[in-house]
Formats: sequence, structure tokens, C-alpha cells
Amino acid sequence: MKFILNYIRKDEWSPYVAGVLLGLVGIAAVWASDSLLGASGAFENIAGMIGKAVAPATFDNMYFNFIMPPGITQGVMLVVGIFFGGMIGAATSGTLKWGKKDTANSDEQWKRIFGAQTWKRWGIAFVGAIILEYAAGIAGGCTSGLAISGGMLLAPAAFIFIAGMFVGGIPTALLIYGKRF
Amino acid sequence: MMNFMIALVLGVFFGIALNKAGLTKYNKIVNVYRFTDMTVLKFMMTALVVSMSGLYALRGLGLITFPNVPATYIVGNLVGGVIFGFGMALSGYCPGTAAAGAGEGKLDYLIPGFFGFLTGAVIYGLTYDKVFPAISAIANYGNTTMPDLWNLNPFLTVLTFALMSLLLFYLIDRAGWQRKEKA
Repeated sequence: MKFILNYIRKDEWSPYVAGVLLGLVGIAAVWASDSLLGASGAFENIAGMIGKAVAPATFDNMYFNFIMPPGITQGVMLVVGIFFGGMIGAATSGTLKWGKKDTANSDEQWKRIFGAQTWKRWGIAFVGAIILEYAAGIAGGCTSGLAISGGMLLAPAAFIFIAGMFVGGIPTALLIYGKRF
Repeated sequence: MMNFMIALVLGVFFGIALNKAGLTKYNKIVNVYRFTDMTVLKFMMTALVVSMSGLYALRGLGLITFPNVPATYIVGNLVGGVIFGFGMALSGYCPGTAAAGAGEGKLDYLIPGFFGFLTGAVIYGLTYDKVFPAISAIANYGNTTMPDLWNLNPFLTVLTFALMSLLLFYLIDRAGWQRKEKA
């Protein structure tokens, strides 16, 4: 028992242990609510909600009316849960960053490569996030909604997507890191 | 209502898994593309082996049916994946890990992440009809699985996947299929 509690308090688990937990969550999603995990769709729901409130005419299209209807969906609740899960996970290991210094540019390796300026980290992360969400739309899901959820059902789409992630990610890292790759 | 509560609880455990695997760190994400830290791959493959074993077993026992399987349209899945990998190597997160990292209190996850995803979602939603129908029509196999598509025994397919994953883990952890970080 003590061993388990101590393990839970660790900052990082073995990826195999954490992977088992995620696998069980994937099974539970189908078992308990006949649904799949997925994070990118939630942002479409919220974007539609904001868009319909601000510029109803612009957002009156097929996508925001039928494909991804706006609103607080199950997917949004899942992402809210992920947010609090991250919080709980960090709290158990005493690594919560709320109110601490250095949270605006949180990674040492990043700072070594790009420097300590916050605007640079935020600018690149912002552009990256736009690209991620758009790409998830084209592919039919993100890491959770397609790679994990599709993969666990043995959908070919998931493995094509994962291969694509490496085809896109490796040259990008190579370009950024250069000699430091 | 019930499904909303279930989604929230599932999300919490999902977030804990992401946090404990270390995936809410920029370096873990980008280093998988540098082959200096294969945590992301080990985490994902383990999750896949566990969940596909469980789901195919439960379906075999007649206890569940599968929800809508993500659709396979080769060009779109691939092109989307390539662009996704590009974005992931830039920001060091994906929509799920950004949400968990934001919960930890990392502002570079919370603010550029949230607004970036929303912006991307708006752009995608407004250009959807010009992009998606065309790209998803190419080599579209629908909501299919590999056992259905290629007439494979599902249990043997799962077993094969599990054995291949174990072999990969062995190669990474024991046979040195991982680059050393430069000092």
C-alpha cells in the first residue's frame, strides 16, 4: 500500500504504467458511454459557440451547423476533465506551477535552444497550436481522437496518421535543432 | 447528463496519465522526433495494446459494440498527420497534453495553446467545405478496421500488434534503439 502511494506521488511514472492507465481509460470510454476519447473536437465546439455569438452570419455554415455543432459537448467535458487531471497529477507530486515563477516559458530544453524570451515561446506555440488544430480537422482527429481511439479499434487511419506525425515531426525537429539534433 | 459526468471523470484520469507520463513537457514531445527519448511512443503503444486487447475481448464476449470507427481516407489521414507532426514539433504539445499542461499551471500551455486551438478551429470550420470533402474523397475506405478490411482474424491481429510492440520496447530499452542526448 505504502509502495503504491509513494509511486503515485512520483513526478514521473514509467511510460508503461501510465500507458496502462490510458489504455484502461480508452476501454472505459467505450464501455461506459459508447464513445471515444478526443480532444481537438472540443475546441471546434467552443469556437462554434463563440463564433455564433459574435458573427452569426459568418458561422452559419454546414460545418458549424451540422458537422461540429457548437455547445458544451461531451468532448468539452472531457477536455475540462483533462485540465483537472493534469492539475491533480501535478499536485500529487508537488509540481503544480500555478503562481510560481518561470511558468510562461516552462521548459529548460526550449530555453537552451530558443532563448528565455516569453514572446518567442508564446508566438511559436500559438502558431503551432493553430496548425495542430487545423491538421486534426483534416486528418479526422488528433493524437487522442485518432491515433489512440482509432488505433485501439485497429483503424488503418490511426496508423497512417501516426506515420504522418513522424514524417512531419522529424524534419521539423531537424530543422530547428540543426547540429544539436 | 450521465454521459457528461462520465466524460469528465474519464478526462481526469486521462489528464493524470498524461501528467505522470511526462507528456506535459515540451522536451518529451520534441525528443521523440529526435529519437533521444522514446517516452511518447512507449506510452502510446502501451495504451494501444491494453485498450485494443480489452475492447476486442469485450466485443468477442458480446459485452460491447464498437462506436463509430474513425474513417480511413489515406491522403487526408496522412497529410493531416504530417502537418500535425510539424505543429507538434513547434509547440511541443497536442490538444490533449496542452489541456493537461494548462491544468498544471503552465501559462505557455494555457494561453497560446487555448487561443491557438480556437483560432485553428475557426479557420478550419470556415474553410471546411473547400478542403475536407475533396481530400476525404481520395482513397476513402470509410469507418473500417484492419481485420474487417483485410479479412483478418481480429484476435490474431491484436496479438500480432502486442508482440510487435513488445519487440519495439525491447529494441528501445535493451538494444539501444535510442540516440544519446548530446552534452
